[in-house]
Amino acid sequence: MGRKGFYYDQTVCIGCRTCQVACKNKNQLEVGTLFRQVHTFETGSFPNARVYHYAATCNHCENPARVAVCPNAAMFIDETDGTVQHDDTKCIGCEYCVKACPYGVPQYIESKSKTHKCDACYQLRAIGEQPACVAGCPMRALEFGEIDELRAKHPDAVNQIAALPDASETNPSVAISAKEYALTQEGKKVLV
Amino acid sequence: MTDYHDGATMAASMPRRRFVQIGAATTALLAAGGVLSSCSKNVPEEQKEVDASAAERANESADSPSKATFERDLADGTWVSAACWHNCGGKCVNRVLVKDGMVVRQKTDDTHEDSPDFPQQRACLRGYSQQRQVFGADRIKYPMKRKSWSPENPNGDLRGRDEWERISWDQALDYVADELRKAYESYGPESILSFGSSGGVQNVLATLGGFRTKWDTASLGTCRFDWTRAGMLASNFQTANDRFDLRKAEIVVMVGANPAWSCGGIFPYLHLQAKKAGAQYIYVGPYYNATAQMLDAKWIPVMAGTDTALLLGVAQTLIAKDSPEHPMIDWDFLNKYAVGFDADHMPEGAKLDENFHDYLMGVYDGVVKDAAWASKITGASVEDIEYLAEAIRPGKRVSLIHGNAPARCNGAENFPQLFTTLGYMTGHMGKPGECTGCCYKSQVNGGPSLVKGGSKGYPSVKNPVTDTICAPVIWHSIKNGEFLSAGTDTKWENRGMIPVDIHVIHTEAASGIQGTPNLRDGIDVYRTVDFAFTQAFTFNTAAKLSDIVLPITTPWEREGGNAISIDREYVIFYTKVIDPMYEAQSDIWVAEQLAERMGLDPKELFPFDENQAFFNLLASSTVWDPKANDYAPLCTITEQDIANWGVEGEPQQGIIAIDDLVEQGVYQYKRTEGDGLDYVAYKDFLEDPEANPLTSDSGKFEIYCQWKADTLNAMGHSDMEFKPYPSYVPSPVGYETTFANLEKGEKGEYPFVLYNPHYFRRTHSCLDQVDWLREAWNNPVFLNASDAKALGIKDGDPVLVRNQYAQTVRYANLNETMIPGLVGLPHGAWLDWDDDMQIDHGGNDNLMMGPLTSNMGVSGYNNFNCAIEKWTGDEQPLDCEREIAAPRGIE
Repeated sequence: MGRKGFYYDQTVCIGCRTCQVACKNKNQLEVGTLFRQVHTFETGSFPNARVYHYAATCNHCENPARVAVCPNAAMFIDETDGTVQHDDTKCIGCEYCVKACPYGVPQYIESKSKTHKCDACYQLRAIGEQPACVAGCPMRALEFGEIDELRAKHPDAVNQIAALPDASETNPSVAISAKEYALTQEGKKVLV
Repeated sequence: MTDYHDGATMAASMPRRRFVQIGAATTALLAAGGVLSSCSKNVPEEQKEVDASAAERANESADSPSKATFERDLADGTWVSAACWHNCGGKCVNRVLVKDGMVVRQKTDDTHEDSPDFPQQRACLRGYSQQRQVFGADRIKYPMKRKSWSPENPNGDLRGRDEWERISWDQALDYVADELRKAYESYGPESILSFGSSGGVQNVLATLGGFRTKWDTASLGTCRFDWTRAGMLASNFQTANDRFDLRKAEIVVMVGANPAWSCGGIFPYLHLQAKKAGAQYIYVGPYYNATAQMLDAKWIPVMAGTDTALLLGVAQTLIAKDSPEHPMIDWDFLNKYAVGFDADHMPEGAKLDENFHDYLMGVYDGVVKDAAWASKITGASVEDIEYLAEAIRPGKRVSLIHGNAPARCNGAENFPQLFTTLGYMTGHMGKPGECTGCCYKSQVNGGPSLVKGGSKGYPSVKNPVTDTICAPVIWHSIKNGEFLSAGTDTKWENRGMIPVDIHVIHTEAASGIQGTPNLRDGIDVYRTVDFAFTQAFTFNTAAKLSDIVLPITTPWEREGGNAISIDREYVIFYTKVIDPMYEAQSDIWVAEQLAERMGLDPKELFPFDENQAFFNLLASSTVWDPKANDYAPLCTITEQDIANWGVEGEPQQGIIAIDDLVEQGVYQYKRTEGDGLDYVAYKDFLEDPEANPLTSDSGKFEIYCQWKADTLNAMGHSDMEFKPYPSYVPSPVGYETTFANLEKGEKGEYPFVLYNPHYFRRTHSCLDQVDWLREAWNNPVFLNASDAKALGIKDGDPVLVRNQYAQTVRYANLNETMIPGLVGLPHGAWLDWDDDMQIDHGGNDNLMMGPLTSNMGVSGYNNFNCAIEKWTGDEQPLDCEREIAAPRGIE
């Protein structure tokens, strides 16, 4: 089986943050902890300004920086699907991974003194469901599957937009159908 | 509910998975941590020392990686259809996994495969957050009494700042019954002001002689006027075609609508299908909003509240540029279907020798209403106005659709008639891919319902007190001791001034004061009455200002019901998820208890229990049967079902077993392209106008409607003078009043137009207290970056929004997607009132609306005026970092 990851159709996203909350619901996360998080960016100036959203979560990279830095091997790659997973029993809460991940994905949870992150809803997938964010998206902007298949299905998809770090660092398993201007203009992050 | 949330840490039972371990490399890849939410607390201040011994212990206890801490049982339990019961205008499937009376997780529609033609009814973040509301820390747990209130001495001055004490249900109900009795006996039914929607206690009050209440144009704005008298459909509903037809449009012009934020759910997805089918969207509005952004719409910026002037400019441009070589007007349509366009097509009974065409051309006032004229009043450019006229000229399949935001403005009385007039002029009506109408909420999928939710069958009691107080001026009128009775949906007449003396205020299943304009005066009124009581499940604004608060169940704790049939293709049925929390009871139970105390027979008002009511609702639900050309029962009910339910009823044949329907929680009619159930608005009239006349006096579309002018001009709420045809009449408050000198362009004391966009964090005021939603949506105030720069305001700065009525503090969102001169204060934020400072810290919108309205009494949400400045007071934490107010004195 190949490496799995998320497809995100930025061109249809309304920035509603349902994926973010569907994720919090499945993982029962308190305020301050987000395994998926939507950001909104604005580019250009009135009256030609444009807006795009980015629904961020773990990109389940092929070369995940935070797996490399974990001093206790709590971060690991699941060989069954290539997703980056986290062994909470081994986590010592040192937050090396939090700093190492160029996408800012791992979340240190103070009440548990541990770090955690998107696990691509492996438990839901095991019982035949989609990851919570995918099943919940009102605009059908998210898909999960083998990243090569997703890229074949969406040939226009990219693994990097202007607001994201250089994909060559970690080879993220993400495919994004991007708004044209999001490819070249990082823009300004907007408080909504 | 600490235990419930700690469910996230349940021990794991999943087998450990195989893994690839990557050695603990030492490469330091300490790049910046990406973008973080404002409310995220995930920013480590400094790298922590690795606790070597902890690492060792971890190694000892686990010899291979697992995911133990966050694993929990996500599969076991029963899925229940749960309510998302608020009035956003959408309705979606929400299912909850319940185990041992505890909620494990929620999911949305997976009752059938998803496709654009037969889409799942997926919930938005609000539906997913219901669990945080139902189990919220701010639930009203017990009947409560405000400490300083007593029947002898209300100490009304302390409302909203007093402490509370827990009392028994008997004590609470006795207090309420005594106060109601006193008010009815001493001051009469008109002394009781009641806000409600559940048909519970209001039925009791209606039986006892009635109650005073408000009349509010609310979401509909000026579309609520009786436009059937001009030949249009009631509320301008069912005036757009259905969702399959929208896909046939080549151009969709959308005016003042943002279904992405206001409804969530399915409606933005329907627009996406039209875009994917090739429609080019043009968005006309003050803000390049989330819907327009998603659709890559061409944007025509226009100042809020000036749509009438803009559309007049478009109409004049159509006339001015029309020629046989370049037709801009569908003359055949005008000749055949409309009256009042020009002198040759005047309706009988016209008292004024004027027509729309000559008005536009300046015959009556010497002012040609061309694009240059419109540009000055609207902020839209001449080029954009001319572009819009060109885009909608006959020849292409154009759908002209509007939301109701432009109608929710003071002075917007002409908007609905004018918008539709553009359709008469261009002929974009009654044809595939062509319509001119309303896309507000489910109206984007026009047509009669294919499935209808039934009725619980409780008798409804009519309120004998029929004179209602117009919402925008309700508090001011009560303060003044008299109100103007005018408007209301059934009696469009001025009934004169009527004395008002309120002694009791009641709120039941409604936002009440929180959702009514001129809130500042409302606080004063509350503090003067003898008694205020509220039925609520959360400590909302009405509860805070009351003397007795009764804890009410949420729909998750009741037998079941159906969300109102909002879309023609589906109905949601919800069922009980958990037992009532704390001492909460339903509104119906409260009503029964009060009825008994007031000497009424509860059985006459509520003849059966809530289980029977739910059964009745299901049994009376119907579905369209194309073969019979009629509605037929939706569910099949057997004798056995009736016995199992323990109810009274008759067996019936439907298309789904009653228990299957309850389990499924939704019935969605499966439509396909070309199934013969298409809806094209006004089709019958357009095919045969003689055989199918419209509801106007002339039987045609009335661009000149005598009744409209006569009625609006007699209403008395304001002194604007309306013509029978659409014209420009300056509003008592709006863009014009932001200027001290309009001609010279000099701004006045309140130089910004204040508008109140519907906001994704909540549904009106519902759900505003929910933490996950507060984290996702920060509720800033929106303003253009150039305006902010001139005022020295930086992105994220706390700012004070103020006008002559009130002031509120928010943080600033600086953007380039809003027209300069506009301030966007999102609708529905909970009041967080500081009595000492006379300042709100919640961003409440109704506070900023003064006791001012235009002729029909519209609640003008989108064009009051304000000033904005940098806040120099205390630090303002983000909403998700604030405590949700709980009643002081109650554990």
